[in-house]
Amino acid sequence: MSTNYIGQSVKRLEDKRFITGKGRYTDDIKLPGMTYASFVRSPYAHARVNSIDTSAAKDMPGVVAIFTGDDIASAGIVGVPTGWQVNFKNGDTMKEPPHPLLVPTGSTVKHIGDPVAVIIADSREAAFDASELVEVDWEELPAVVSALKATEEGAPQVHPDAPGNLAFDWEIGNPIDEVNEAIEQSAHVTTLEFVNQRLVPNAIEPRAYIGHYDEVSDKYTLYTSTQNPHLIRLLMCAFVLGIPEHKVRVLGPDVGGGFGSKIYHYTEEALVTWASKQIRRPIKWTETRSEAFMLDAHGRDHISKAEMGFDADGNIKALRIKTYANLGAYLSTFAPAVPTYLHGTLLQGLYTTPKIHLELSAVFTNTVAVDAYRGAGRPEATYLLERLIDLAALEMDRDPIQLRKQNFIPSFDGVEQPGYQTQVALQYDSGNYHGVLDRAVEMLGYEEFRRLQQESSRNGKLIGVGLSTYIEACGIAPSAVVGALGARAGLYESAQVRVQPTGKVSVYTGSHSHGQGHVTTFAQVVADKLGIAMEDIDIIHGDSDAVAFGMGTYGSRSLAVGGSAIVKSIEKVLEKGAKIAAHKLECSADDLEYAEGKWTVKGTDKSISFGDVALTAYVPHVYPQGLEPGLDFSSFYDPANFTYPFGCHIAVVEVDKETGKVKLKRFIAVDDVGNVINPMIVDGQIHGGLAQGIGQALLEEAIYDENGQLTNGSYMDYAMPRADDLPMFEIERQVTPCPHNPLGVKGAGEAGCIGSTPAVVNAVINALWSGGHKVKDIRMPLTSERVWRAMQSSNSTITQS
Amino acid sequence: MELQGSHVLNAPPEQIWEMLMDTDVLARIVPGISRLEKTGENEYKAVADIKMGPVSGSFSGGLTLSDIRENEGYVIHVKQSSKIGNADATIRIDLAPVGQAQTQLTFDGGAKLSGLLARTGNRVLSGVANTLTKQFFENFEKELQTTKQT
Repeated sequence: MSTNYIGQSVKRLEDKRFITGKGRYTDDIKLPGMTYASFVRSPYAHARVNSIDTSAAKDMPGVVAIFTGDDIASAGIVGVPTGWQVNFKNGDTMKEPPHPLLVPTGSTVKHIGDPVAVIIADSREAAFDASELVEVDWEELPAVVSALKATEEGAPQVHPDAPGNLAFDWEIGNPIDEVNEAIEQSAHVTTLEFVNQRLVPNAIEPRAYIGHYDEVSDKYTLYTSTQNPHLIRLLMCAFVLGIPEHKVRVLGPDVGGGFGSKIYHYTEEALVTWASKQIRRPIKWTETRSEAFMLDAHGRDHISKAEMGFDADGNIKALRIKTYANLGAYLSTFAPAVPTYLHGTLLQGLYTTPKIHLELSAVFTNTVAVDAYRGAGRPEATYLLERLIDLAALEMDRDPIQLRKQNFIPSFDGVEQPGYQTQVALQYDSGNYHGVLDRAVEMLGYEEFRRLQQESSRNGKLIGVGLSTYIEACGIAPSAVVGALGARAGLYESAQVRVQPTGKVSVYTGSHSHGQGHVTTFAQVVADKLGIAMEDIDIIHGDSDAVAFGMGTYGSRSLAVGGSAIVKSIEKVLEKGAKIAAHKLECSADDLEYAEGKWTVKGTDKSISFGDVALTAYVPHVYPQGLEPGLDFSSFYDPANFTYPFGCHIAVVEVDKETGKVKLKRFIAVDDVGNVINPMIVDGQIHGGLAQGIGQALLEEAIYDENGQLTNGSYMDYAMPRADDLPMFEIERQVTPCPHNPLGVKGAGEAGCIGSTPAVVNAVINALWSGGHKVKDIRMPLTSERVWRAMQSSNSTITQS
Repeated sequence: MELQGSHVLNAPPEQIWEMLMDTDVLARIVPGISRLEKTGENEYKAVADIKMGPVSGSFSGGLTLSDIRENEGYVIHVKQSSKIGNADATIRIDLAPVGQAQTQLTFDGGAKLSGLLARTGNRVLSGVANTLTKQFFENFEKELQTTKQT
């Protein structure tokens, strides 16, 4: 039997269950005596709640209880916190206004959907019906939607104690004087004003929570569609409800996608948990799709002005950026970190830019919270850099490939050569940036493409090619580093490897799968390292009572951090196992070697199997003196650094000269995510990421009108990418192992989403230039109307927001 | 949502004006309105049933008239709320004589929508506005014919 699992495309063990409809999601769980919640939500983006009349609703059949914001306030519950603190440039503390579970009377709702009351009833339908009978006296107030407009004089104020709607301002990089000077001395400066639009995360499973207080044990159980059960328990117990943590069990059963939106601790989670004790019955709340559009934390929403200065030879000399980041009405769990530590720190990109400065305003608006969405900050940084450098190539009439290559950081492995220290706080671990670019260009057939481009402009179509190279900081994150940056938690991971007496293995991980295939990938790692069959391994996650602790899954961290914790525990198992084996084989542990699931005395055929050692550990009749029985080890792994995956993406588009319709013809991605455990799963992650990144470029945007109404909150109105919007992806990988974790992995969850967006936009701009339309920018998504308008007004800038 | 329309009706402005000031007539010709009650000087209570694409709902609220120019027009302000969202519309109506026996009725205004109505109805708003406008003038003509017959 071969036990060489690492690097094999093993079929996903969980898929049979999922594709035959046997997944068990939170909404599938039914508890005896269950009740159902429905919220009364604000139809306005900003309004004062003058009064709430629940009397008619209370009389409806099936209604069990109704709670309003006043009930929550009198219970002493203030609201949900954020997990990061970013202070003002002058050192003042970030503005962190309360985010109440239900808005009390006399106070103001701050975005559409902000809840003011909850109905709990015997059925979901009864709860819906009764919620329609709650009469609220709203006093509509002026609302502000755009981050830029929110900072203007006289703009409506979202929070009275955040003047100018500023949550904080922030800067990173070299001193601004040095950057200004370098820009002034540049031979050419490329300037771009642009919008990185707001996106809806669109997990296929809407959020769902069940709160269950059990009177007998005086314990609470929360079932939640989350990416991180322990984090939710910590935030909810310690910072919202004040319940002792050991009295709360948080379960994250099967979760149908997150993309970041299920990291955060939402008000409804705390509410069903608290209310369950008030009524002594379990309460389930399942979001409607309409609520998901309105309430699941959105992504991106930056307005930026960026300038890149070059010397006469095309070397980048400086980068200067001013960004307005829209954080929405309340600070969500990761929100302050996204435009700062996950964006500002990535502005070095793959280039040796000597002077960089980002000035950031993080702004409150009357919109739902903006937080991490697949890539989180890194797509924004990549979009900015890659649009600038491609535009600079067009403006200076230089080859975009050569312009990138001459500015690339030279290759380094992080072992023989040191890591690369950026101007924006990070130290890259290892990289070979020329490698991915050269391979992608080779796959494209660049010369052939240029010939094709000239040909096709004669027959009504414009053909364009767009490049993008990217780097991301993944494997989030070294606790000491993020602690210094303002994180209110460490970002390590835990793993327990419990060898059962028969040699079967149960692995408890703090990572949480919501579609990534952990059950398969982690089992491959364990099977490979222990030399046993995958069928003999069970991966257990998503239960705060079973797993010691966990920081969950986001930021491409599960394998790099969670996987490394598993490896640490396996090493402890093998070390103890060797002592038992040595005793049984009557030799020294140093004389043993471990392979194919057994310890063998070197140079002999004397061996003992993993299963026999496991049994001995639990039936320790013949056993080393002083050694504890059992074979069960826990580990916590705190990474030494972030990991830094990188890659090169190339898009080829065709633009219809008459209609402006963009057709994506080819998409090439060469990614370096370090070592790969399961190539098929990594391919799947890349494919999904590409679809989301291309979706942003061509199709998606959450649109609020000027009153703060979300105007496209349904699948009839919000354009998600479909199979026929995408070509067959041409993907390859380069492998530069991560030098600082035991698996050498860097993370693959976000790469596709980070690199693809600017490649597509660059390709469309390139196509337009090839037709003589020298536009600098077209606002995403690149609908045919916008592209057509851009072609009608060539030589001008299209940047209206 | 923008609301604009213009149509020539076969009656002089004086007759059209009379009809526009009659709550019973208004309730019959304004699409969706099922009840209109006078609650004060130029103030009315209205109940309406409206379908906008995927969503439909029963609205109730107030209707006020202002800038009243006899035989020439007025401004109508409607504030309606429903379980699927609220609507707040201001529409200016102008009457202009065409020849001896006809009137050009023009209206121009907009409605501010909120809630589910804004979220899911937006895609079909221009279509809904066109349909409502068409219905309004059709109803008006039918009403005129009925008046003539009686």
